[in-house]
Amino acid sequence: MTEDRRTLQDLAGEFVLGLLEPDESAAFERRAEREPAAAAAIAEWRDRLLVLDAAAVPLAPHETLWARIDDALDEPASQAAPGAPPARRPSRLARFWNDLPVLRGAALAGAAATLALAVFSAATYRDAQRQPQVIAVLLTPDGKPGAVVDVFADGSSYVAPLTDVSVPADRIMQVWTLADPAVGPVSLGLLTEDGSARLRPAALPAPKPRQLYEITLEPDGGSPTGKPTGPILFKGFAERPR
Amino acid sequence: MTAVPLQTRLDPIADWLGGCARGDRSALKAIYDREGSTLLGMATRIVRRREVAEEVLQEAFVQIWRRAASFDPSLGSGRAWVFAVVRNRALNQLRDDRHVPVEDHELEGYAAHDEATEDAFDRLADSDALKRCLSRLDPVRRKAVLLAYCLGLTHGEIAGRLGAPLGTVKAWIRRSLASLRTCMS
Repeated sequence: MTEDRRTLQDLAGEFVLGLLEPDESAAFERRAEREPAAAAAIAEWRDRLLVLDAAAVPLAPHETLWARIDDALDEPASQAAPGAPPARRPSRLARFWNDLPVLRGAALAGAAATLALAVFSAATYRDAQRQPQVIAVLLTPDGKPGAVVDVFADGSSYVAPLTDVSVPADRIMQVWTLADPAVGPVSLGLLTEDGSARLRPAALPAPKPRQLYEITLEPDGGSPTGKPTGPILFKGFAERPR
Repeated sequence: MTAVPLQTRLDPIADWLGGCARGDRSALKAIYDREGSTLLGMATRIVRRREVAEEVLQEAFVQIWRRAASFDPSLGSGRAWVFAVVRNRALNQLRDDRHVPVEDHELEGYAAHDEATEDAFDRLADSDALKRCLSRLDPVRRKAVLLAYCLGLTHGEIAGRLGAPLGTVKAWIRRSLASLRTCMS
């Protein structure tokens, strides 16, 4: 049996698990429209796995939800409803990034640092540098320490990844913070190839505890829109050093 | 594969989908009343935030209404079809959301969320064939399957979560699916 050639059953199972990449998934859906065996394989997998969904802990919908659905049925399907745009449509670029789960996976799979290392690193910086106003330990999506950000009183910051990230040649890591949700994320700067960097002062209010910091993977030169467009590699919240 | 008239007779949701296709809103409401809270629980497990899950449910019910005529009862139950519409909408939302900054409670929820796969497995009835067959899998492989299906993680995210190479995770899941299919047939 070869591993690289997937059978119809393999594809149908991965389709129903949600594991096919978006283009593969769309192609398999089209195949099912003209190939009854593929449609049947999908249906069989859905029936096999349905009990997992049916056993989800029930949550009562908000009492107004049905009225919202009922109203939405009156909106013409072909026309975007002015009052209810589709929730948070990402940019074309963001969709492109979302089409690369393997890239994202490769970037995150290297996250092997331990919390002990993060704590040790934060303590070491504290001794070696000026006293930062806040320190943020940024975590990978699976909760492992990914980077440390020290933010100083003059608005400058020092960023050090704690884990190896395989950044493709035409990509760069960009550091963001959310000082004011009304303004949205503001860039603190780009990380050089080896990761750690001292970033110039940003014109922002003094950093506060619980302020969000994150690092995203962006096209070379940084996000073209001035806001994060790529996948989040690490994110976390600032705390004052004790 | 043969048609499943018996299943259709026992499947009121299939009848209600027929009602939706004929423009009967009370049929859609009947589906909502019967399955809404379970669907919201399922969608919340994937998108994590309840208010986002409610948006997912709203958009999915509009899709159910508009696409009900395409439901084919020879291809599985009405219930599976409805759940698939909501699940797909939730997975798309999760992908769209991955670059949006998160709230505090989401970060704090990482550890608890990881336990959701064990919870999903434990909540299956012991008499379910799927539970019996999942329990025959190696625990790590079972977890990989559940992380994908219940939480909507990608291969790469599962590899990161389990600390295993990407190719290994892909092979685990593929073999687990083959084993589940044999076990449940």
